[in-house]
Amino acid sequence: MKRVVAALVALEYAAQATAASRPRGVGPEFAKFYEGSNTFTCISNPKVNIPFSRVNDDYCDCPDGSDEPGTAACAHLSPLSPHTPADSAASSSVNTTAALPGFYCKNKGHIPSYVPFTNVNDGICDYELCCDGSEEWEGIVKCKDRCDEIGKEWRKHDEARQKAAGNALRKRNELVKEAARLRQQVKDRIQTLGTEIQGSELKVKDLEKELSETQRKEAGKVVSSSGGSKGGKLGQLVEIGRRRTDELRTQLTSVRGDLLASRSRLEKLEEVLSKFHEEYNPNFNDEGVKRAVKAWEDYIASYGVGSTPNSANERDLEEILKEDKENGLDWDNYSEEEEDETAVLYSFTNYLPPTLRDWVDSKLRDLRQTLIDNGILASSPSGSANESKKVTDARNRLDTAKKDLEDHRNNLKDSTEDLGKDFGPDDVFRALKGVCVETDSGEYTYELCFLEKTNQKPKKGGGHTNMGTFTRIEKIVVDEELPSNGKGLGSGERYAMKHENGQHCWNGPNRSTTVILACSEENEIWKIFEEEKCVYRMEVGTPAVCERRKSNGGDSKGKDEL
Amino acid sequence: MLHHLINDCLVTVKHENFKTCDQSGFCKRNRLYADTALKSSKWESPYHLERSTIKFNDGILTGIVNKNIINTDQKIRLPLKVAFYESGVARVTVDEEQRQKGQIELRHDAKIRKERYNEAEQWAIVGGTTVSTGAAIDKDSEKGTTKIKYGPESRFDAIIRHSPLGIEFKRDGVTQVKFNERGLLNVEHWRKKIKKKEEPKAEGEEGQTGDAAVVAESDKEAAEDESTWWEESFGGNTDTKPRGPEAVALDISFPGYEYTYGLAEHTSPLALKETRGQKEANKYDDPYRMYNADVFEYEIDSPMTLYGNIPFLQAHKKDSTVGVFWLNGAETWIDVTKSKTSANPLSLGITGETTTNTHWISESGLLDVFVFLGPTPQDVIGAYTELTGTQQLPQHFSIASHQCRWNYVTDEDVKDVDRKFDKNRIPYDVIWLDIEYTDGKKYFTWDSMTFPDPLGMQKQLDEHERKLVYIIDPHIKNEGGYNVVDELKSKDHAVKNKDGNIYEGWCWPGSSHWVDCFSPAARKWWTSLFKYSKFIGTAKNSWLWNDMNEPSVFNGPETTMPKDNIHHGGWEHRDIHNINGMTFINATYDALLARDKEEEKHNVRPFILTRSFFAGSQRLGAMWTGDNQAEWSHLEASIPMVLSMGISGFPFAGADIGGFFGNPDKELLTRWYQAGIWYPFMRAHAHIDTRRREPYLAGEPYTEIIAQAIRLRYSLLPAWYTAFHESHVTGAPIVRPNYYMFPGDEKGFGIDDQLYLGSSGLLAKPVTKADQPGTPVYLGDKEKYYDYFDFWTYQGPGDVALSSPLETIPLLMRGGHIIPRRDRPRRSSGLMKYDPLTLVVVLGESGDAEGTLYLDDGETFDYQEGAYLHRQFKHLGSTSTLMSEDLATPGKKTKEYLKTMEKVRVEKIIVVGAPAAWKGKTEVEVSEEQGGKSAAARKVPLDFHDKEEGKAAWAVVRDPAVQVGSGWKISFA
Repeated sequence: MKRVVAALVALEYAAQATAASRPRGVGPEFAKFYEGSNTFTCISNPKVNIPFSRVNDDYCDCPDGSDEPGTAACAHLSPLSPHTPADSAASSSVNTTAALPGFYCKNKGHIPSYVPFTNVNDGICDYELCCDGSEEWEGIVKCKDRCDEIGKEWRKHDEARQKAAGNALRKRNELVKEAARLRQQVKDRIQTLGTEIQGSELKVKDLEKELSETQRKEAGKVVSSSGGSKGGKLGQLVEIGRRRTDELRTQLTSVRGDLLASRSRLEKLEEVLSKFHEEYNPNFNDEGVKRAVKAWEDYIASYGVGSTPNSANERDLEEILKEDKENGLDWDNYSEEEEDETAVLYSFTNYLPPTLRDWVDSKLRDLRQTLIDNGILASSPSGSANESKKVTDARNRLDTAKKDLEDHRNNLKDSTEDLGKDFGPDDVFRALKGVCVETDSGEYTYELCFLEKTNQKPKKGGGHTNMGTFTRIEKIVVDEELPSNGKGLGSGERYAMKHENGQHCWNGPNRSTTVILACSEENEIWKIFEEEKCVYRMEVGTPAVCERRKSNGGDSKGKDEL
Repeated sequence: MLHHLINDCLVTVKHENFKTCDQSGFCKRNRLYADTALKSSKWESPYHLERSTIKFNDGILTGIVNKNIINTDQKIRLPLKVAFYESGVARVTVDEEQRQKGQIELRHDAKIRKERYNEAEQWAIVGGTTVSTGAAIDKDSEKGTTKIKYGPESRFDAIIRHSPLGIEFKRDGVTQVKFNERGLLNVEHWRKKIKKKEEPKAEGEEGQTGDAAVVAESDKEAAEDESTWWEESFGGNTDTKPRGPEAVALDISFPGYEYTYGLAEHTSPLALKETRGQKEANKYDDPYRMYNADVFEYEIDSPMTLYGNIPFLQAHKKDSTVGVFWLNGAETWIDVTKSKTSANPLSLGITGETTTNTHWISESGLLDVFVFLGPTPQDVIGAYTELTGTQQLPQHFSIASHQCRWNYVTDEDVKDVDRKFDKNRIPYDVIWLDIEYTDGKKYFTWDSMTFPDPLGMQKQLDEHERKLVYIIDPHIKNEGGYNVVDELKSKDHAVKNKDGNIYEGWCWPGSSHWVDCFSPAARKWWTSLFKYSKFIGTAKNSWLWNDMNEPSVFNGPETTMPKDNIHHGGWEHRDIHNINGMTFINATYDALLARDKEEEKHNVRPFILTRSFFAGSQRLGAMWTGDNQAEWSHLEASIPMVLSMGISGFPFAGADIGGFFGNPDKELLTRWYQAGIWYPFMRAHAHIDTRRREPYLAGEPYTEIIAQAIRLRYSLLPAWYTAFHESHVTGAPIVRPNYYMFPGDEKGFGIDDQLYLGSSGLLAKPVTKADQPGTPVYLGDKEKYYDYFDFWTYQGPGDVALSSPLETIPLLMRGGHIIPRRDRPRRSSGLMKYDPLTLVVVLGESGDAEGTLYLDDGETFDYQEGAYLHRQFKHLGSTSTLMSEDLATPGKKTKEYLKTMEKVRVEKIIVVGAPAAWKGKTEVEVSEEQGGKSAAARKVPLDFHDKEEGKAAWAVVRDPAVQVGSGWKISFA
């Protein structure tokens, strides 16, 4: 900014010679167009020449408006205004883009600037742009020159901003250092993991050897122990199988009964709520009702209504619950047959309808697990039924070692990936990961945890709403007015953190938040705004995105120190 | 099922919440009565004017009408009054003696009045009731009739047939309006409830003899259905009806009139449809209903009632308009049917004519009808607005662009939106706050969490002459420690329930009470609440929005109050329901006047937007069409609705731009802005669940196109304000339909999708359908029309095709008009006050053109003391001169005002359709009077552009620099 000022000041000096004759509202860079004395040539329409007396006579002659640098007469030459052939004196085919950026305010004692032509002589002192009040020259309102005080104030603020910017930059450097440290940590970890993986691999190899040794030693014992009593055991097994199947069937029947009852209650409840949702008066501002409606809508959004049962499963369940004989499983046929005992339990599925088989298989496993978990059935040893303890132990040790190896490998992969991830310039956001800031806005507190998530928490209590999980860093262009304390986005390209897939909105998308970052001394949320339904925009200040002021003018020494 | 549920609840009105005629006892009874009467060729109306009682004094005829009770000698005495006013309006009033004299018994010991409600006129009528001195009984009256000659030059006749009672109104000897022609007059007289024995018998039946005529049988049939006499239930609420059946009904026929308009507000087309038929035949099956109600997600093309009602109807045929105004504040239904009279078969070549028959049915109150005999639409509307008042001349800011949303959620939010409009160079004048600004829906409070600094917010708005409008509704939260409700209760200003206790119902705040603005004391109290010292945080640039004043009661029958609620003066809610909304804004209007007196700058015109209204509400502010939807069909329906308000005397009307419910896509939003700039009341609004849609959010090219539309509105504000002024003076619509503009052009009678802005000659045809690159426009006369944007020339009459890609607004200028504009774009209309004007002189067939311009301070009532300028601009083709003449009547503040306008000049004159003879001309001569004297003539440049393929020749007078407030003449010769 300062450099712009300096440049303008320089131009000002350069133009001083002609300043006296420069028509009202003309900026120094356009002065050369207004040096004639008798005729004026429209800037972008050199074919149009008018007497110089028509410059600033409050009538728009030039198709580009250049003859009225000091009035609002050509303010309508804008793509935002309706056009008719008689807008300007020339025919419609010529270039009617406004040649001038606005009314030039010298703002002596502050920074010169352009105020839009629409604001010239409208009865309002536009001190923000025109501190000398020169754009209200017609006298609808008296705007005294306030450049001294505004300039002073501005410089004071600017100083504060500079100072803050300096602090912010220092903080950023700390963050960068921290990030580097964290990065080194990851690198170290990768190295450590490399070593650990090597160790683990060796360990796995050893244990594999141990297991096969053990298995070899124990193999004979297993065979002999299962040899003698096969027939009798099978008979017993069939009996047990039959009993267990009956038991399972009974359990299943009762579970299914519960399921059906619950489902019908659910249906009833959903029906009540549906009806309620349909018939409640939406104009009726009962908080309780509104909350209930909202909750119901969220519920539908997540689950849908009328959870249609899986009809294939239903049918299969029907089948299962029939007597075994109807399912083609006649226990009597098996009582004397010679088969692998454990296979029997499972092979009955061979007799089930094919569509049913997989399902029953998995259901039986689940059910069995449930029954075991609930202490109804006894757990049987994994693997082959009669494996010796030594083999089992060896296998367990191997499994553990394998798992360790796997974990190490995953960690390595994660860490390596982490190093490759985009943490912004200088890896700086790495230092912010997991840092949370919050702010109050209306009835909520909003929270941002950098590179993790955004949250909305009702002040009155109640559950948090996830407004999105961090997905990526982007750059977007913003154009906002910068408040005098500098806490705002300003204009230009900014880093933006995208948060997606937050809690689902009724009749809308999953919540998402774009966090737009601008330089600030502290990490702080400036503004939170619902841009459209469940799409949020958070304007956040953080030292992490501060940049060295390239336009710092004479302050280069201080800059280098940072 | 789920799908069904979601979609339907978004778009469909809940029909089951609102009555059909069949569910409304008195409507059903009277429709049945009509069926009975019309079925029988021998039907004779049982109402007879007793000859001996007829008196005529000072323009008023009185007499007693006897209602014969079938098969008895009993006669019910009904006092009749027919008043003839100086304005040419006739008024027919029928009362009921027994009720009038209080000789009836009220059931349930109700503490209410016994009379038929007779105070509607106190609310609706403000003038035009000077009785005619010229009206006189014509000695040539035929036997059995009394004929009164009245009206301008005694061109009107009212022929009163004594037996059965019937009244025929003629203009120039031709019958225009007939009362009781079909015998449907019905005044349900008071009767005692007879305890039913085995066979229920209607009273009057006893002692009947055997000579019952067919007529009597029919009447018995019609009158016998007692089921809805004493008690009616709907939606879980029971109406106790302490006075029993008390409806009034009358058939009014318009012989030879095929078109009728009015009965606002409905979503039907401008030309009323028949109501006793089927949808397939493009008819409704229910009458037009008038019962002010908060109809959630209303549907279009329906006779269902809406938020406000004006019981005023016009009948129109080639070169003739007549009308009736049915002054009744109770629930009212109107059946509209048409009958074709076949021509005399012997006179070949003469086709039969269509007659429109209307049947008016009100639940209670007087039968009180005003008859207007035209002959022009403006004569009828003018006479109606002379009675009920004309449109308030609003503050200038309120005819500019309004930005609303439910809700701008914080004061910072408001300031941010305000800044963004400026940043994007889109002008706007007013930003609105819906209910969320309050602390827990307690009006006259701020939510301190979200609006910590309301004055700072209003200050920022004021910096650019912008205003804040905030909402105040009539329901007052029933919560301890809330001073407003405490006062409401302790001072006894609330509406009562049937038992005489304070009525409690539910609305936004939950449990609430309602202020009873029928009570003078309550109104006075209401006035005190708006003082700046009382409602802290409101500034001078804040104005009002009165919503929910039907009144909307969420748990009430048909979302409103029970009919047996009791208002001030002992009137039942039944009697005054449709007037209720108007009394509320009337109270607010007074409050805003009172609020203002303590200021330095007093005398400022209040601005109030209302949702509910009645005949007369136009005197107090603006209305909008309530909660519409972001659908093309709703955009389309908004044009006839706004036109209908215009011809109903309440032209300051608009629909929510963008549609209230739902999210408009960008094309719809853009088209809605392009249409919305033609609503007299131009406001964008959106529901709380919708996405933000301020015009700058739309993105390109949409934002740019919308900005152009809004800036077009702003540049034409001088034409708009002039049209508002014309309406304020004459009652004329601000945007006008074809039939009003060209009453002789039969092809235009059904057209309601294009509009004329005041008398400016601007004809706009908003695009209301998606993807429409071309749009036909109907031209109602043989005149040249020019495209506003490129001067392409069209020749009327008939349809012409305009191209209408998204960036284009189909807009024509009719030859013969002069349009005032202000071309400099500003941030708000207040900042245009001293900008120079551009005049567009549009030359037509004759080469002549004229137009007017009205300007004042745009804020105060000083215009009533002459602080305004009113110019007529005239271009005479024969002499090629353009001049400005004074139309103003000077008053004591005229001079002072004109002084403030001294520097305001005409900067440019554009002549469209310039004569070829001007070719080569480079100068015109300007002479101006200054200080009452003519200054020396000056020459100013003229720039002539010849016509080119289809486009008119045009010329520009460069900066004539004449004062807009002075007289001047420009010679092109």
